[in-house]
Amino acid sequence: MLTRSADDQFCLSVKSTADAQALAVQIQESNQWLDVVPGINSVVVRFDAARMEPDDAEYRLRKIVDHGIEPLAIPEQIVEIPVAYGGNNGPDLERVCKSLEITQPEFIALHTAKVFPVELVGFTPGFAFIGELQSQLHFPRRKEPRQSVPGGSVAVADSRTGLYALSSPGGWNIVGRTSLRLFDSAAEDPFLLSPGMRVRFVPLQNGDQQ
Amino acid sequence: MIRVLKPGLQTTIQSRPRIGLRHRGVPSGGAADQLSLALANKLVGNKWDAPALEATLIGPTLLFDKSCSVSIAGGKVATTLNGAPVKSHECIPVRVNDELAIGGLLSGARVYIAFSGGLQFESVLGSASTNLQAAFGGVDGRALQAGDTLRALARLADNAKTPDEFRPRSLASVALRTCEAMETDLLDDAQRTVLFESKWQVGQRADRMGMRLGGALLDVTSDGRMPSAAVFPGTVQCPEDGAPYLLSVDAGTVGGYPRIVQVARLDLHILGQLRPGDRLRLLRTDPDEAVDLLRAKHDYWREWLPDIAAII
Repeated sequence: MLTRSADDQFCLSVKSTADAQALAVQIQESNQWLDVVPGINSVVVRFDAARMEPDDAEYRLRKIVDHGIEPLAIPEQIVEIPVAYGGNNGPDLERVCKSLEITQPEFIALHTAKVFPVELVGFTPGFAFIGELQSQLHFPRRKEPRQSVPGGSVAVADSRTGLYALSSPGGWNIVGRTSLRLFDSAAEDPFLLSPGMRVRFVPLQNGDQQ
Repeated sequence: MIRVLKPGLQTTIQSRPRIGLRHRGVPSGGAADQLSLALANKLVGNKWDAPALEATLIGPTLLFDKSCSVSIAGGKVATTLNGAPVKSHECIPVRVNDELAIGGLLSGARVYIAFSGGLQFESVLGSASTNLQAAFGGVDGRALQAGDTLRALARLADNAKTPDEFRPRSLASVALRTCEAMETDLLDDAQRTVLFESKWQVGQRADRMGMRLGGALLDVTSDGRMPSAAVFPGTVQCPEDGAPYLLSVDAGTVGGYPRIVQVARLDLHILGQLRPGDRLRLLRTDPDEAVDLLRAKHDYWREWLPDIAAII
């Protein structure tokens, strides 16, 4: 579904996050848009209203949509994310486990058992939304967001894991921390993760070098 | 070299926005009021997006050890050069050991201080603009501090003044053209009337991320959350507490609150001049009409700023 969502935006609603990613890539390929931003079940496209007629933008987007969404190839590579769980690194893990009625080792075993897809990168530079957690781990976000969540925090909310690339305010439950740099503005490629990539969390034992 | 004697309240290096990185979580950033940045740069012979200072509410005091030209545009402010008043919207020649003191803003929220040749800063992800949240761009990704030094080119620009018809008027009460957004439907007719008829007031913590709008509460017919989706500068979100929040240039790139209305492109530069307490109306505008108005605005400004279509 294609909807005009402002003077210079169109929103395309899709069925899944994978569709949003694939459609965003297809739209981006035509290289004539100011922004192409996938969400969980949508893609928003901003066109240059100074140079492109809204009707023309709509026509071009409709042609891409009508052509159908070609699924993205699933990348072979799995990015391993080392995580120090619990304690000072994951101050919410104890409370989350208590409410979920599981032990911390059980939580860690489930969280590290599966390969998860990166669904979305956004909010702050490099912040990654990673889905979809096993239903035993679903847990609501904190009622009172923290003023500052440290960069590298691994956190859960609802059905997802979030990776805080940078320190920022946030309401997700912090279960651990990774030493991987998810965003480095000075690097040639500043972003470690992008939508569609696959990750696996690897538990660090107590005493492992972070 | 230019030495920062007093940094002002929050003074950062700003230049062009970062375009096309929102899908990686990088906000566009850049000058919160791009039109004023362009007007300041024009007076010292620079390209519209040469790196300049963006000062917020209280300006900095600067000491020069070389001759150059500077200019000031944006909110209304009193400025002195070695204690004698100098004007905004005019090219100001400065000499060795001159001290330029930019005061508190009398109206508007930001002034831009441009230097002939532009401030010399490296581009990070396509722009020298400072991103304070992610701490990159400008001076180590932070606001200026006393003792910082800035590099400009020692060159004098020709005398220039902004013609009267191209000097934006600062107003404590503004109207922004807005278009319906994806979740406008979550407001019923009565709530839409509140949205478009209320006199909103800019909240106390207005900054480059955005500002809370006070004056009324809105009732959205949902639990206040939705699957995360793209937001932009000028998006008005309605969180659970019902107080609309207007996003500005450094806001996050995706959000989970209903997007109830979007400020049209032609009025986005005004967001940079909104200060706590300012009064605000949101005008319901047809999207095609907003595009026509954008092009008419470009036609008006092109005579003084030929790059206007890249600026606003």
